[in-house]
Amino acid sequence: MGTLSFAGLHYTYPDAATCVLDALDLEVDAGLVVLTGASGSGKSTLLRVCNGLIPHFHGGVIGGSARVLGREVVRTPTRELARDVGFVFQDPELQAVYPSVERDAAFGLENLGIARTEMLRRVDDALATCGIAHLRQRAVTSLSGGERQRLALAGVLAMRPRLLVLDEPFSQLDPEGSRALLAALDAAVRGGTTALVAEHRHHLVIERAGRWLLMAGGRVVEISPPAPVEPASPASDRSTPPPSELSWQLHRVSAGHGRVPVLHDLDLCGGSGEVVALTGANGSGKTTLLRTIAGLLPPLSGRVERRPGRIAYLPQNPSALLHRATVRAEVAWTLRRTHAAGGAGALLDELGLGAVADRDPRDLSTGQRQRAALAAVLAGNPSLVLLDEPTRGMDAAARASLASAIARIAQRGGSAVVATHDQRLVAAVATRVVELREGAAREQLPLMAVSR
Amino acid sequence: MSTRALAAWSASGLVIALSTSNPVYRGVVLLCALNLLLARGRRGPGLRLLLIGIGIAAATATAVTLLLSHSGSHVLVRLPSAIPAIGGPLTLEALVFGLATGLGIAAAMLAVAPLTLVSQPHELVDALPPVLARTGAALGAALNLIPGTVRSAAEIRDAQRMRGWHARRVVDWPAVAVPVVLTAIEGSLTLAEAMESRAYGAAARTHLSIERWTPTDTLISVTSALAAAGFLTLTLTGGAPGWFPFPVVTVPAVSVPAVLCCALLVLPSLWMRR
Repeated sequence: MGTLSFAGLHYTYPDAATCVLDALDLEVDAGLVVLTGASGSGKSTLLRVCNGLIPHFHGGVIGGSARVLGREVVRTPTRELARDVGFVFQDPELQAVYPSVERDAAFGLENLGIARTEMLRRVDDALATCGIAHLRQRAVTSLSGGERQRLALAGVLAMRPRLLVLDEPFSQLDPEGSRALLAALDAAVRGGTTALVAEHRHHLVIERAGRWLLMAGGRVVEISPPAPVEPASPASDRSTPPPSELSWQLHRVSAGHGRVPVLHDLDLCGGSGEVVALTGANGSGKTTLLRTIAGLLPPLSGRVERRPGRIAYLPQNPSALLHRATVRAEVAWTLRRTHAAGGAGALLDELGLGAVADRDPRDLSTGQRQRAALAAVLAGNPSLVLLDEPTRGMDAAARASLASAIARIAQRGGSAVVATHDQRLVAAVATRVVELREGAAREQLPLMAVSR
Repeated sequence: MSTRALAAWSASGLVIALSTSNPVYRGVVLLCALNLLLARGRRGPGLRLLLIGIGIAAATATAVTLLLSHSGSHVLVRLPSAIPAIGGPLTLEALVFGLATGLGIAAAMLAVAPLTLVSQPHELVDALPPVLARTGAALGAALNLIPGTVRSAAEIRDAQRMRGWHARRVVDWPAVAVPVVLTAIEGSLTLAEAMESRAYGAAARTHLSIERWTPTDTLISVTSALAAAGFLTLTLTGGAPGWFPFPVVTVPAVSVPAVLCCALLVLPSLWMRR
């Protein structure tokens, strides 16, 4: 009996004209299986079939056969499948049920009626496995995106699932978090758990994956593992012309939420033509720094200077921006509001959004939404661009188009600051790399781009 | 103090505040509730917002009663009768009755306030009996969304501001309001998906943390129940007279046993201040 057994599987969302899954056949037995495919190809849809959210939660029309751990998905409610199928979503911000880390990690166990002593033991194990035991008593709202992602995983691992389904689990993790997640995955797979992981950052799982699947045209096909990618290395020879003019500057800035500083006495600047990559562990203050540069967060002490001109800011949650009926209208709205000339077409094409320009941005996949939000903020030739984890949910092609858009901004004298854990993006665009650690900023060499 | 004991105390305060029209008893409940909130030492923005809200509700009740009730003997001012609804005499009796109504609203709100200000939503959920566990978990999750929605509203406003948005006219607000509403709806759906995916409703729920029940909790629950039961008995037997300021305003009659029943509600704050 296979863990997953799909035969001739069809699925169409309610009110949709075309099917997302089209006569899909798939057999998965054991090990770590990686699911790849372009943004919007249906990966998240397929994953949701694995725990019955499709069709039980989303409705729609489903046909063919889908068996998970020997049970017919259509006849088994999600809450029953959840006894054996652990699922971690793409948006960790929205998954917390309880306000404290410990309680949230225990939510699934409470639902299964596990005894308290056993529950405590499993929560201990899961938090330690995910490297967040030290956050046990923290409020969920005080966690960074990456920490929340690890909490979501801990909550699922505590339930000891036989099948683990992860949707873009590395999208917000710092290197340490990625290592912790990989170790947790290794341990789970060694313990007999089957893991199905949708992930665009192939290099993170390349050594562990037993099988690679490509999702395209509503079906999955077996593919050979992507070629190994050499780790990005410091590019000591990358010559960066000195900036002709400062675009932004922090003078002994301390900043944080409330009265507690996350950043201490920072002296930092960025010039025209520069692309500064902000790196650092989850919770190190990257978002705080971006918001301080943007002027959205007044510093607790010190002074922030910015060159006059429009500032574009992409928040971590792209949905925060989207309110128009189409992607094109989103871009047009920014152009109108900023009194900028030009149309939306060129930017949409550059970001690979031409085909979905007339669709509602909230109907798009996470990666496409991210690009739609990017288009919305980059419209109108901003002089300073601040991007918070811009590659979330993006496939390789989308990352390349993002890199080219950032490079174009730098070439015409703009400046960019990009907070990211994505070393590929850093290697592709950064002229400087600044690492935040314990409230201080440390300048590093930029990484050299490597061919994929 | 356990959440269940606090819930028993709040229920008793609410019963007394809503079962009488006498401002003296309402005032005693209000003072006991305020004392409890201050004794807990949580005087953050939550308490400030609550007091502002109560002030607005009480002032509104007073104003509405004054403007719409044209009864009473002592006319303070006479509005032209051509003004619909509020035109006519505004009387001292209506003003006093409005103030007493506002006091009742304030006492009722403050009686429930410790449950929301002092307890976390998940503590309330855990305090529910097992038969309500599923409903409670859904309620707790919904309550958990509120601060997230408030935070996302601020983030959305900031993000749109960076795209050139300014709140100059009413027509500007959809740029913030639409994504706030849509994000809240999407957040609710994702949370519901996450709960289903974590076996919500699969079995009888257990709890990670078990609230300790102390003798003090028993004492507080019993005295609160006695206070409410005693007050209701006195009210039904005429031992705790109500009050009505029409047609002529009078001083409310006070029954010592009824005041003592209300004053029993001070017990938790005395225990906390020890």
